[in-house]
Amino acid sequence: MADYTQNNRPGEEEDEEEEEIDDSSYKTIKDAVLFAIDVSATMLERPPFSDDKKADRDSPTSAALKCAYQLMQQRIISNPNDMMGILLFGTEKTDLKDGDNSFQHCYLLSDLDVPSAQDVKQLRDLVENEEDAAELLKPADKPANISTVLFCANQIFTTKAPNFSSRRLFLVTDNDYPVKVKQDKDTAVTRARDLYDLGCTIDLFPISRTDSGFDRSKFYNDLVYPTSSSDPDAPITSASVTKIAKSGDGITLLKQLLSSINSKAAPRRALFSLPFEIGPGLRIGIKGFIMIKRQEHAKSCYVWVGGEKAQIVSSTTSHMSDDSARVVEKTELRKAYKFGGDTITFTPEEFIQIRQCFGEPILRIVGFKPMSSLPIWHNTGKATFIYPSESDFVGSTRVFSALQQTLIKTKKMAVAWFIARRNAAPVIAAIIPGEEKYDENGEQTMPPGLWIVPLPFADDLRQSPEQVSNLKATEELTDIMRKVVEQLQLPKGVYEPSKYPNPDLQWFYRILQAMALEEEVPEKADDKTVPKYKQIDKRASALLEEFGVEFEKEHQSQSRGKPKASIPVRKRGAAAAVVDDDDDAFVKPNAKRVKKEVKTEDDDGDTGMTDQDMAAISDRGQISKQSVAILKEFLKGRGKNTAGKKIDLIERVQSYLDSKGL
Amino acid sequence: MASKEATVYVLDLGRSMGQKQNGRSKTNLDWAMEYVWDKITTTVATGRKTALMGVVGARTDETDLDGIVDDDAEGYSNTRVFSNLKQFLLPDIRHLQEHLKPSSTDEGDLLSALAIAIEMINKGTCGKNGNPLKFDRRIIIVTDGQGYMDSTDLDQIAAKLKADKFELVLLGVDFDDPESGFKEEDKDPHKEENETVLKEFIDNCDGIFGTLAEAISQMDIPRLKETRPVPSYRGELTLGAPTIYDATMTIDVERYPCTMIAKPPTASAFAVRTDLGSAPGASAESSATVAGEGPPADGQLSAVRNQRVYQVDKPDEPGVKMNVEMEDLEKGYEYGRTAVHISESEFNVVKLETTAAFELIGFIRADKFDRYLAMSRANHVVAQKGNDKAQLALSALTHALFEADCYAIARLVAKDNKAPVVVLLVPRLEGEVENLIEVELPFEEDMRRYKFPPLDKKLTITGKVITEHKDLPNDNLMAAMSDYVDAMDLSTLGEDGEEYMKPEDTYSPLLHRINHVIRWRATNNIYTTLPDPPQILTKYSAPPAELLKSTERELDALKAAADVKKVPPKQKGRGKRSLKDREKPLSGLDVDELLGNPKRVKIDSGNLIPSFKQALASTDDLDAIQAAADEMGNSIRTYISSSVGESGYGRALEALRVMRDEITELEEPEIYNSFVRALKSEILEGKLKGDRREMWWRIRGSKYGLVDRKRSFASEVTEEEAAEFYKG
Repeated sequence: MADYTQNNRPGEEEDEEEEEIDDSSYKTIKDAVLFAIDVSATMLERPPFSDDKKADRDSPTSAALKCAYQLMQQRIISNPNDMMGILLFGTEKTDLKDGDNSFQHCYLLSDLDVPSAQDVKQLRDLVENEEDAAELLKPADKPANISTVLFCANQIFTTKAPNFSSRRLFLVTDNDYPVKVKQDKDTAVTRARDLYDLGCTIDLFPISRTDSGFDRSKFYNDLVYPTSSSDPDAPITSASVTKIAKSGDGITLLKQLLSSINSKAAPRRALFSLPFEIGPGLRIGIKGFIMIKRQEHAKSCYVWVGGEKAQIVSSTTSHMSDDSARVVEKTELRKAYKFGGDTITFTPEEFIQIRQCFGEPILRIVGFKPMSSLPIWHNTGKATFIYPSESDFVGSTRVFSALQQTLIKTKKMAVAWFIARRNAAPVIAAIIPGEEKYDENGEQTMPPGLWIVPLPFADDLRQSPEQVSNLKATEELTDIMRKVVEQLQLPKGVYEPSKYPNPDLQWFYRILQAMALEEEVPEKADDKTVPKYKQIDKRASALLEEFGVEFEKEHQSQSRGKPKASIPVRKRGAAAAVVDDDDDAFVKPNAKRVKKEVKTEDDDGDTGMTDQDMAAISDRGQISKQSVAILKEFLKGRGKNTAGKKIDLIERVQSYLDSKGL
Repeated sequence: MASKEATVYVLDLGRSMGQKQNGRSKTNLDWAMEYVWDKITTTVATGRKTALMGVVGARTDETDLDGIVDDDAEGYSNTRVFSNLKQFLLPDIRHLQEHLKPSSTDEGDLLSALAIAIEMINKGTCGKNGNPLKFDRRIIIVTDGQGYMDSTDLDQIAAKLKADKFELVLLGVDFDDPESGFKEEDKDPHKEENETVLKEFIDNCDGIFGTLAEAISQMDIPRLKETRPVPSYRGELTLGAPTIYDATMTIDVERYPCTMIAKPPTASAFAVRTDLGSAPGASAESSATVAGEGPPADGQLSAVRNQRVYQVDKPDEPGVKMNVEMEDLEKGYEYGRTAVHISESEFNVVKLETTAAFELIGFIRADKFDRYLAMSRANHVVAQKGNDKAQLALSALTHALFEADCYAIARLVAKDNKAPVVVLLVPRLEGEVENLIEVELPFEEDMRRYKFPPLDKKLTITGKVITEHKDLPNDNLMAAMSDYVDAMDLSTLGEDGEEYMKPEDTYSPLLHRINHVIRWRATNNIYTTLPDPPQILTKYSAPPAELLKSTERELDALKAAADVKKVPPKQKGRGKRSLKDREKPLSGLDVDELLGNPKRVKIDSGNLIPSFKQALASTDDLDAIQAAADEMGNSIRTYISSSVGESGYGRALEALRVMRDEITELEEPEIYNSFVRALKSEILEGKLKGDRREMWWRIRGSKYGLVDRKRSFASEVTEEEAAEFYKG
């Protein structure tokens, strides 16, 4: 089904349960990023040629374009409704795609909009085809006026992305003093203030010139603001102090730029803003952020093919009464619960009372427990990151910090009562500390804060299915397997999400991109989640063989019902164990290994049939005398389909036996 | 799946049940019915067709055996069958409510009614040939023990009930209960005798003999729904590639849910029926469900269907929509703003081809795992049922992980052509339980790399590190926090020194709250106020009172050290009134001074919003503010009237928002209110060049209407008035 609804009537589509109190949510929560890339002689200068494969090959401008290209592709996946545009400045050409030439030496490469396949293609051609690029990337005799660029951005944001909650200008330049006289600087300062008042943020991505470096204090510190006027509570981040990218620092300019830009790829949006009650009478302010969320690919939609060009269809829904086929206004709708073949209704006021009887939205600590009280089997969903906010309570940050540091030190967690929004279901959650982490370049990879981990209620816990078999590992077996585990540690013994792109998502967009650009569809997907078989074999094959031998021995001894004294072997009531002697069941230390002897000697009253039993029955021509239940049980125990008539089941059993050579 | 069940309620309706006793405000029957209704509605709520119920009354005014035994059979007078065994629906509840009343007689025998109940179950649960079917058979008796009882055949009955595995529950009004220590004063000797007889009888059939007070007090404890485990993956867990390499490991496993959020029932939308006259349910009975002047009663709502209208922009007139027909539509996806249509036959090309697999990728150190990365509900991974080898192998892996203090990382494709996920496998060894627990981990795309400043130090713009700052806790605060965290420990606070507030002890508040009020409303349609949620659902919403009492000192110390101050609501706004307070760039440069602190800024329609903000910032003069607002208003009108289709609406909305926020900030809401009132009528009267109602929809949707008192104390507009403004 097409799920593409118009978003221009938020009040109408608004789901009551998701109602937000925050004023900012009234604005369309959308992000618009305009790349402004400096095209000057120095920006186009390529690094000296080097034999080193890892050495820089890109000029700063082309590195910036490559970043933009990558960001554009990435945002189509991650923020499909957000806008992006690319503005080159300092070019010989002047073109804003609207016939207006008042912004000299500004060239709008792609207009601020949700990117189209054409935008992606155009950008890629520019990045990949140097000749075409050289044509366009020709610096003007005199550099673009920075205030012109800023005002140009102002106009683009105003007209193309009105009422966006987040509008950001990504400025890539190597010129730390782009004016000649003070008066020009004053104009630029005013233009920057205009942008600030408009609610646009300037994110500066400075590039250091080999000779002189990049000094922010000369010019840009007068233009860039520490906070955004559209998000005054946003804590001062490194936004203002993005590292200065420099060529020839071991890692390429492109990589440095990518890393800086990636950290800003998504505008930060608070999920909620709540009081956090540490104890009765002690509240501080926090904001919640979604830091981890499964990125799904776009849902299919309807496309109109009746015109020259395929167009995405938007749909509006109206409600119709089932009894009279009359169109019903929203005010005529009543909500009701189905009960006993009928409906139970409540008044709208009662609905509110039902949902809100647990009090106002809050995160309230009930007490503390050791971290060990949070086993992984109590996980129910993703955690939410929280960070202090001073806007409601002065002093929130220091109290929050004290709590975070204490929890880290004592390895404890808080248990809390949590209502995220009005109408949200109350949840009991663990609050665990998150430590700040950095990569080798000193860039933050994980912010410091607390995480709200929702806990299950008794209603949400499911029992483990009963185990009917009673075989337990011995010390010998465990020891060998333990060596395997130690041999196959991932790098640094940690799971690093950044090493595992979602293969399904990547494939989806690769195909979609190819189709959108009418290009060849790639044949094979690159799936980084597939284990490294070769390495596993290299490192663990000897151990696994050893394990296989020990395992056979142990299995024989245990299944004969004569376990070693040290192994606790339990008998469970009358539960039936289906004995499976399937060769595939376990280790194959040697592919040429002959079939093992079959064990039917289990003595704990199994009712399930072994392959041999069934084969014997079949040989005697008695198979059709077996009850459907027995056949199903047999098939089920072997993971086979148990649907269909008896005759189908018999057929399936026989073909199974055939496949086993019985 | 739950098995079939047949439950018959035997209710004593004798005259004495109409009395009010032991200081209760309700009659004995009404009191007893609290319990009975709770049981019945709980069963009805499951909607199960295999949960049959019946109701038999004892000591009733009338005699009606519904053909269960011959009507002229002796000994059954004053016994009445209210409902034979069947699945109960809402009308059945209504029917019972109307008819279950205390009688005006003392005649009749509770045990006769029991005999009818037994016969009812016997008849209702046998197959075509009279063979008993597999059923859970249950009889629940509620009585005050006052009536006459002929106990001659009781031993025989008990023996039969026991043999047929009937479950018997008897709940008495004010019966003595040695367990809870309840003993009725001045008990009627006749009642006492009956109690003794009944107790012996129930004991003889291994039934439950209890007092009603106890049963009612247990009612609030939510019942958990049992679910049969269904595997979500069955197949091999492998290490290495068995098809390529010799030495690999393959274990046959099954995966079952370990946690699964139980969702509260959802309300569906219904339309109020228009043809009230012909509505079958519009009788006096169902209109009794109306609560006050609320929505109409059950049976008067009709289902709602959604109808979709599909639109596209007109090819040559951007901003203007046209309706399109279903047959001109094909399925597709959006790539950015490009529509990619894919014909039905090609639809699979975007799907990654996969085969079901569960493969170990490698292992990680347990102590280095960040707990917050686990992003899904948990699953059990157990050995294939009855497969000894799998069991032994999985046990070895589980123990090895446990001893090495490691977790496994694996790739899981639960079914062919499903998207692969990366999962974490954690060993769980608890008593008899030995298995792996699996949760999903994030991919690269799932991590949002937001950055936040450090919490234990401050960095200045120049990169200097500061360790003392108002945002950083001092030693005093750190010590107080540490003491408080220690004092508020819950790990031994539960029963018998166990952990307090274990998940097993907590119940989903909303789930049980909604179920509770639905059941309540089904039987209490006359009351207008909803009952409060049972205390058990809010028990864990705050720290335990005793703990708070004993930790007062630590909390006070923490409060003092924290010194947190609430920000008064007035100062919260983002705009600043005076130029001096305006936000400064990183360098701290005073931009306004640079511009010579202009007294009056002209509104520039080409730079509307910044110049408007700057104009307001530069003046305190009401006239100047009004003038700026007027100019802003005119620009908004121009945006709307010159808009081609909807092209100018976004800018108009933005201007409206800024104007509304800024004017409110200046505490002059009337300036905005009078403007937006005028704008509304101009739009709706078509004065802005054409039909601009879409624009009004957007204003309404964005809630840019009147500024009310709640938002600004200077406003004279009430919240009701503001809400009213959006209508029409």
